Amino acid sequence: MANNINKIDELFANYKKAGKTAFIPFISIGDPDIETSFDIAKALISNGADMIELGYPFSDPMADGKVIQKSYERTLKNRVTMADAFNFVARLKEISEIPVIFFTYYNPIFAYRTSEFADSASAAGIDGVLVVDLPPEESFELKQFIDKKNIDQIFLLAPTSDISRIKLITSYAKGFVYYVSVTGVTGARKSLPSEMRSKVEEIKNIKDIPVGIGFGISSPEQAEEIKNYADAIIIGSKIIQFIENNLNDKKNIIKSISEFSYGIKSSLM
Amino acid sequence: MKYPNSKGHFGEYGGRYISETLMPAILELEEFYKKIKNNKEFKDELRSYLKNYAGRPTPLYYASRLSKLYSSNIYLKREDLNHTGSHKLNNTLGQALLAVKMGKKRIIAETGAGQHGVATATVCALFDLECEVFMGVKDIERQKQNVLRMEVLGAKVTPVNAGSSTLKDAMNEAIRDWITNVRTTYYMIGTAAGMHPYPEMVRDFQSVIGKEVLKELKQINKFPDILIACIGGGSNAIGLFHPFLKYKEVKMYGVEAGGFGLETGMHAASISGGKPGVLHGNKTYLLQDEDGRIKEAHSIAAGLDYPGVGPEHSFYADKKRIIYDTITDKEAIEAFKLLCRLEGIIPAIESSHAVAYLDKIKKEIKGKTVIVNLSGRGDKDMETIAGYLSENKIKKEQHSNDK
Repeated sequence: MANNINKIDELFANYKKAGKTAFIPFISIGDPDIETSFDIAKALISNGADMIELGYPFSDPMADGKVIQKSYERTLKNRVTMADAFNFVARLKEISEIPVIFFTYYNPIFAYRTSEFADSASAAGIDGVLVVDLPPEESFELKQFIDKKNIDQIFLLAPTSDISRIKLITSYAKGFVYYVSVTGVTGARKSLPSEMRSKVEEIKNIKDIPVGIGFGISSPEQAEEIKNYADAIIIGSKIIQFIENNLNDKKNIIKSISEFSYGIKSSLM
Repeated sequence: MKYPNSKGHFGEYGGRYISETLMPAILELEEFYKKIKNNKEFKDELRSYLKNYAGRPTPLYYASRLSKLYSSNIYLKREDLNHTGSHKLNNTLGQALLAVKMGKKRIIAETGAGQHGVATATVCALFDLECEVFMGVKDIERQKQNVLRMEVLGAKVTPVNAGSSTLKDAMNEAIRDWITNVRTTYYMIGTAAGMHPYPEMVRDFQSVIGKEVLKELKQINKFPDILIACIGGGSNAIGLFHPFLKYKEVKMYGVEAGGFGLETGMHAASISGGKPGVLHGNKTYLLQDEDGRIKEAHSIAAGLDYPGVGPEHSFYADKKRIIYDTITDKEAIEAFKLLCRLEGIIPAIESSHAVAYLDKIKKEIKGKTVIVNLSGRGDKDMETIAGYLSENKIKKEQHSNDK
């Protein structure tokens, strides 16, 4: 049985007291290969990541933009399996206490068998699961198993979410609510919608729950602005871009991601 | 019990497995469709377009030479004579009327063979809507004529170069566009698959096929023993089958694309050769590997080249109410040639799969009344056929040279 207090909940409780905003980077397990992605995770942790979101590749990532699509294509070529992913998390947990959020689409979980997924995820030390194509309406088939393991099921809210969706999702949400900043797929954007702040406030008015913002964030300047009203920022595509740009230069991947991570973290201080 | 239930489930299949960004749009669509589907004005308007624009009802043609060959009574439901050359227009007319009433000005669609793309481009021209069709580059290559047709109708055809570069990838890209432009855009899905309410809605619009067959047979005092239709996503099949489901004595065969043969793994038979999973918003039978990654489908028929199937088919497959079986590329081509020569009808390669099934159950159909859904015409397939025949001719020549 897992600890009584979920690590994600614990972190947000502490950060709330301290008035801090968490930095959650996203990488996909096995991009560009398992060992390098493990080193990237370590580099992110030592350069300011407060939690880490690990993407498990799916062949048809419908909510993802080009950068993460290509990242998943690389990992699929490396034949990363669910067993590899659990092993990755377990190894990471040996060297760090950092909360781990597992990010994927539903079919790989369903193919693994949902109940067995919950068992293995818990054994590996996964703290939260975010399944992009599992809205509350279809979430029970996963929830019934991961709830028992004290794993948080993270849900998304979007600019299109109206009051009734916000009410529904905040009533299901555990850990934090992941607010998708734009109507669109994942990918770095130069400018973000101005309605973000009011939307986060709208969510918090309905339920006092931590809100993380992701999709589109790519710079320390954006992070610095968002920290004024959000509890976490999530950055994926911008980090993956460093991998794509340096595919044959592992050292440079680690170096550029470390610097970027440090820059984001500094902007949140 | 009515299927789907209020949450869009057909037993364990169907549902709404989609990103939260799309949920409000899906719920809006569901509400809208619920309100309008029994509205008299809407039904009259659709009926009028189906009659005066599409040319319905399509004939139910007694294929006498084919019947003689198999010692049975074979009727072809001539969806190939529907405007634009396939059953696809039945659905796009319905959805376009709906989209107009919802105030949407931009339509997106995915297409495989291009038949749904053409049917979408057609209604967009008719109702003055902006139209963008996503199509895999592999399909663009093998269905050039349909690409041209879409373009002359004013649609933008966007090539999709990802994954297998066929229908599944076109659908991924359409969904990504929808996530991005959901506030202004209506997503016109071409088959009875995807997230609720699409499987139900597309089935309802396509059920005009089965309803007409019932009426047409009644006029000649007949009732069918067996129904046969090809299955890609399965919209022409569910359109024919659905009005007959309540008649327990009617046997139904859904013919999946067997490609090079089930045993080769190179096919598009999701039910016969796949297992349940979740893709494109619904739980259904899928071609996938043991890690849950979607496998590439293979069929000579671009319109069947999809690694999934509509959830209602998965449901009736498990219940064994509909029997699903496969026809290979080669068998489909033989049936294509047979129908050309015997009846003077050039069928789509997709529909040729259904025709080919007659031969597979020739003992069973003796003396029986059989309906084959001729879902589309084969003009679009001439290049594919020419390619296939010349390839085989080369193989044959090589074979005889070897001797």
